[in-house]
Amino acid sequence: MFEIATRRRPYVLLAFALLFQILLLAVQIKRPDGARLIRVWAVELLTPPERAGAWILDRLGGAWSGYIGLVRANRENQRLRADLGQMSLRNSELEGRAAEAQRLAALLEFRDAHADAPLLAARVIGADAGAGRAVYLDRGQHDGIQANMAVITPQGVVGKVLEVYSTTAQVLLLTDKSSGAGALLAGSRSQGAAKGTGEPLLLLDYVSNDQEVAPGERVLTSGMDRIFPKDLPLGTVVEVRPANPFKQIRVRPAARLDQLEEVFVVLSKKQWDWEAAQAAGGKPEPAPDGDRSRTGALSQQAKTGQSKSAPPAAERPKDQP
Amino acid sequence: MNPAEIAENASAPPLLIRGVVEPRLEVHKFRPGAVVGACFFALVLQAFVPAKVWKGEIVGDLLELPLLVTLYFGLSRRNPARGLLLGMVVGMLQDGLCGASGANPIGLFGIALTLVGYLASTIGARLDVEHPASRVVLAFAFFYFHRLAYVLTNRWLLAQNIPWMNGRLLAASLVTAVLAWPLFALLDKLRQDED
Repeated sequence: MFEIATRRRPYVLLAFALLFQILLLAVQIKRPDGARLIRVWAVELLTPPERAGAWILDRLGGAWSGYIGLVRANRENQRLRADLGQMSLRNSELEGRAAEAQRLAALLEFRDAHADAPLLAARVIGADAGAGRAVYLDRGQHDGIQANMAVITPQGVVGKVLEVYSTTAQVLLLTDKSSGAGALLAGSRSQGAAKGTGEPLLLLDYVSNDQEVAPGERVLTSGMDRIFPKDLPLGTVVEVRPANPFKQIRVRPAARLDQLEEVFVVLSKKQWDWEAAQAAGGKPEPAPDGDRSRTGALSQQAKTGQSKSAPPAAERPKDQP
Repeated sequence: MNPAEIAENASAPPLLIRGVVEPRLEVHKFRPGAVVGACFFALVLQAFVPAKVWKGEIVGDLLELPLLVTLYFGLSRRNPARGLLLGMVVGMLQDGLCGASGANPIGLFGIALTLVGYLASTIGARLDVEHPASRVVLAFAFFYFHRLAYVLTNRWLLAQNIPWMNGRLLAASLVTAVLAWPLFALLDKLRQDED
């Protein structure tokens, strides 16, 4: 280091000597505007760093402001996302309630159309965890439900009550392999038996080959099984094959068994004229008091979208135990 | 270490310098007070003689004695640090003397002679400048180098558009070159005998 300084000494000395004299000159020299050259140089020398410093501070300030803004925007974004999630949840909830209200309105309309029928509205609360096709209702023995009672929707037959518990009931769907119902073709009134296959479609059996059956033909309950009232919509023919000794007819169930939410349990096995009631346009005979109160509760349920509580035992039909 | 750097170390024995690097070049020493006295007289002559002796005569303006003195001692002592310091001092004194008549701010000749002293010392450490012809040539060349530094400084700092060259300057350069021959020989007498 010392050696380098020694070797460079003349250059350094020369630089200092020149610089000293230049500064000396700058102190003496005045510009035409009266300002000394040294002052002009000082200003010109110090202004760029000051300007650069101001520029850097501005940029840093801008960057900091941008960073703060970004943080705030991020927080706001998170809050808005949370709000959006809540709104989406709320929207789904409202959509569900609206759909439920529509379904309940349809149920109410159906109930009004069949006021003489002892129907009990029930909500599907669960499905069979096994391989079988069954659902659970929120009504049970306390509500007057018994085994082998028919379960229907405004669209058609759902199945029958298989097991009854105090507050719940298990319903075997039509599509279960062990399920079946007496059926007849709406056009020809030919009778047969609708069987579950474990698949979405039913099999209509015992229809002779000489019967004219076309896809699209409606299939109704025959009432011969003593479970399902007569003339309830069972399904629609979707495929007809000649077979030996009977036709092989596949029927699509009228009720949407994969979208069940609210159903009716037919509390009486008494037959009633389904089609006549349909034709009457919802002007049936006056219903018993208990049925009226259920209808009122159902109407209230349809309006509010709230689940109807189990009716008191006093409201049970008189023909039920 | 090059000859110039060796020459910078003036405190080293001359024999060592001659023996190690450049036996033909010699770092001259002068009698005590010789450098200061010579520079003083050069400045006095430069400042006062033209004004008092050759009033209004062109010959007075052609003298550049401070330049010649700085050049001589730079070439002889071959020490750039001393050369530039001597040039600076002589130049600033010359500025001061000229400033008395309102001509120059202090530093204009100072910068020019600083550069002259540094360059002369550097050249003196590399070339043999003892021959009278080489001295005349160097004086002529350094006159224009000095003029270049002076004009550049003037134009840069004072924003004065003074000419680079004219007939008067050409005459001055010739006078300076010719004057260098006897002046340098005279100054050689101030050298300290090494034997």
